[in-house]
Amino acid sequence: MNNMMIIGQYVPGNSIIHRLDPRTKITVIFFFVVFVFFANSFWSYALLTVFAAVSVIASRVPVRYIAKGLTPIWFLIVFTFLLHLIVTKEGQVAFEIFSWKIYTGGIAQGIAISMRFFLLIVVTSLLTLTTTPIEITDAIEEMLAPLKKVKFPVHELALMMSISLRFIPTLMQETDKISKAQASRGVDFRTGPLKERIKAVVPLLVPLFVSAFKRAEELAMAMEARGYQGGEGRSKLRELRIGKIDVLIYILFICVVAGLFLLRS
Amino acid sequence: MNHKKTLFLIEVAIFAGLALALDMIPFLQFKIWAQGGSISLAMIPIFIVSFRWGLKGGLLSGFLWGILQIPLGGYVLVPLQGFIDYAVAFTVLGFAGVFAGKIKQAVKEGHSKAYFTYILMGVVLGSMLRFAAHFTAGIVFFSESLPDGWHNAWIYSLVYNASYMVPSMIICTAGIYFLFNKQPRSLLNAAA
Repeated sequence: MNNMMIIGQYVPGNSIIHRLDPRTKITVIFFFVVFVFFANSFWSYALLTVFAAVSVIASRVPVRYIAKGLTPIWFLIVFTFLLHLIVTKEGQVAFEIFSWKIYTGGIAQGIAISMRFFLLIVVTSLLTLTTTPIEITDAIEEMLAPLKKVKFPVHELALMMSISLRFIPTLMQETDKISKAQASRGVDFRTGPLKERIKAVVPLLVPLFVSAFKRAEELAMAMEARGYQGGEGRSKLRELRIGKIDVLIYILFICVVAGLFLLRS
Repeated sequence: MNHKKTLFLIEVAIFAGLALALDMIPFLQFKIWAQGGSISLAMIPIFIVSFRWGLKGGLLSGFLWGILQIPLGGYVLVPLQGFIDYAVAFTVLGFAGVFAGKIKQAVKEGHSKAYFTYILMGVVLGSMLRFAAHFTAGIVFFSESLPDGWHNAWIYSLVYNASYMVPSMIICTAGIYFLFNKQPRSLLNAAA
């Protein structure tokens, strides 16, 4: 583990999709997730598939990363597909297996549902593959900004999100260090009955928690020493900016949605 | 902005980070379902924050833990399911914090039996609420994606979610028991 450890699934790159404003990506993907449920004909699914495929190609993220995101879902896709195949009794009998009739309606519905899962996973994982977690929290802060008017602590929430993310690698390193230190004293984390293993974790958790409290205390102190006053009037190191490609993507996406509603049956 | 408030923000954030980190460390966990729902000790930091800072801290750190799983690669298959699975389910863990006052009182007075009972009640309450949320999300998901007239959505959801929530709850309860057995004061007393 090193300091530059990347958490999450981000794949560094400089493609159009990487350079898009994270707010654009979140908005488009949010509405994509909503509109996938409106697709109900062959051509409407085809349109969404083309959109997803073009986005994947434009992102230049190697396909194996996307496939990796899909692996846990395979089981679910196959399971729902088979269930639809067996249970749905619409349309004509397509063929029989062991005297069980498979209907065309079942095949169509099975394919539609599997396709929907597939599209959802591909498009949402594209967000996490091309956007760093920090960019996503920055974007969320900006997008929630209107809630400041109703006294919702947007800034505090965003600050906490970035601190959590920032500390994950540090805390993992710390855990690694403490577990090695304890292992060198003979603690065995990996084998033995469950009760013994949980007991073995205690000498790991106590120093971990105590050092996390200490870190929190030190960070709070350091922030106050530098004049941290809460959200009012704070400026940012990285400013988000909506550029020309963002506008273009919004227009393109609106066209796709319009097309989707035209192609619905 | 006083010191206590800044410290509250930071501590809650760091402990949410700790929950995320504990979920990622390979030798501390055991994944049974690849699409989420692993058995790990990750709930412990959230419970500790709940007992230290009360309901507000617990709910907030749980919420952060849940929300941050999305940018780190969560699975949203139906919008409502995503909302319940990530925004609601982890937040309600913080309800363990309703016992915070009683636990602190009991620790101060040295009633070890009393504080263990309250801690246990907190952990069970938080875990049950989280289970209820995942269970509801599961019903939403399965009833959306299974064929019409297939009414067993709740069984799938029950089996799937109980399969990791029950062991997680047992492991976290045991972990918290051993932790508090050793160091009740250093875990509970918020500095300042």
